[in-house]
Amino acid sequence: MTRGAILFAFNSLKYDYYAMAEHTAKRINHFLNMPVTLVTDEESLASDSGYKFDKVITVKADKDNIRDGMPWINKGRYQAYELSPYDETLLLDVDYVVNSDRLLKCFDLYEDFCCHDNTAFYMHPKVSQELLSSYSYKTLWATAVVFKKTERAKQIFECLKMVQENYAHYANIHQFISNVYRNDYALTLALRIVNGHTVLPGDIIPWNLLHIGKNTSVYANTDDEFNTEYTVLFDNWQKGKIRKEYITIKDTDFHVMNKDIYVELIKHG
Amino acid sequence: MDINTLLADAKARFSHNSAKHYLREKYSSKLILADQGGLWKADKETISLLNSLDTEKVVLMDTFDNPVEVDRVELLSKLSTIYSETMKAWLKEAQELEGKR
Repeated sequence: MTRGAILFAFNSLKYDYYAMAEHTAKRINHFLNMPVTLVTDEESLASDSGYKFDKVITVKADKDNIRDGMPWINKGRYQAYELSPYDETLLLDVDYVVNSDRLLKCFDLYEDFCCHDNTAFYMHPKVSQELLSSYSYKTLWATAVVFKKTERAKQIFECLKMVQENYAHYANIHQFISNVYRNDYALTLALRIVNGHTVLPGDIIPWNLLHIGKNTSVYANTDDEFNTEYTVLFDNWQKGKIRKEYITIKDTDFHVMNKDIYVELIKHG
Repeated sequence: MDINTLLADAKARFSHNSAKHYLREKYSSKLILADQGGLWKADKETISLLNSLDTEKVVLMDTFDNPVEVDRVELLSKLSTIYSETMKAWLKEAQELEGKR
């Protein structure tokens, strides 16, 4: 049974996602001891700095999705099932910092597909869970997904494709904004459709996805390539003044929502 | 990073509440174990229940609310080990963070 990770990275005008993918791939190799396949396009390949992915697959980027006035190439994630060369695959966002071997546990506990349904924010302990809209489902997260090549997993990814192609329709039904395509929302709908409009407990990773969120930055505490200790700094606004607060974290994975912060992180370890 | 940001960051205070929250997130995930066809949490309730029973095989509800027949001693041993190791590591890191200002 082969096991590996797959990353999708398409450079935008502002961000070098290829560099992010290289950074994440090195950490996957180091902490999870897994090969990494990259799905990218010819344009992004120009950013190659010499890191050897297990496999590089080039596809035509779907530049249809616009965020902040520029293309945000996050469509086509459904191809992970077909493109993955592994029997068991970890599909990860490139802005997820692998900082422990915790994701390996998913392979022990899942049936054939799992993702996060709960998140927590460092420095924001009381943030509520995101919903598609006020009257709709709790969002599932496409940030870290583990799947096996089974008929059911195939159906989930085929359904993901169907939801992507009919995103405006589902946005209309579930009352969320369709202008910007989000994989999290599409996955939420696809998994529920395949499961008969419910969520199976076995499809859920039984711990929270940890985000570095709003007003929060993160710094590596050393310049080591595989540094595991970070300082998380938070601007706590109280009565118009900022009170700076911090914590240190180690051996814990996290997802950086702000790409500028992630770019800085890549530069410094 | 400019000097003003550096100075502002230098005045940052350690947030004990956020650190406590972070430790709970980090270590509660380490208490999870997939074993004998079920998913288990090495918590005091499960360990106490396994300890209080005396048969070789027992049927327990796992964290997915599925009844699973397990070898009691084997599961108790694994969960006790995980609980003990995780709580020790949790305490150690909590004590390290307590000293921060």
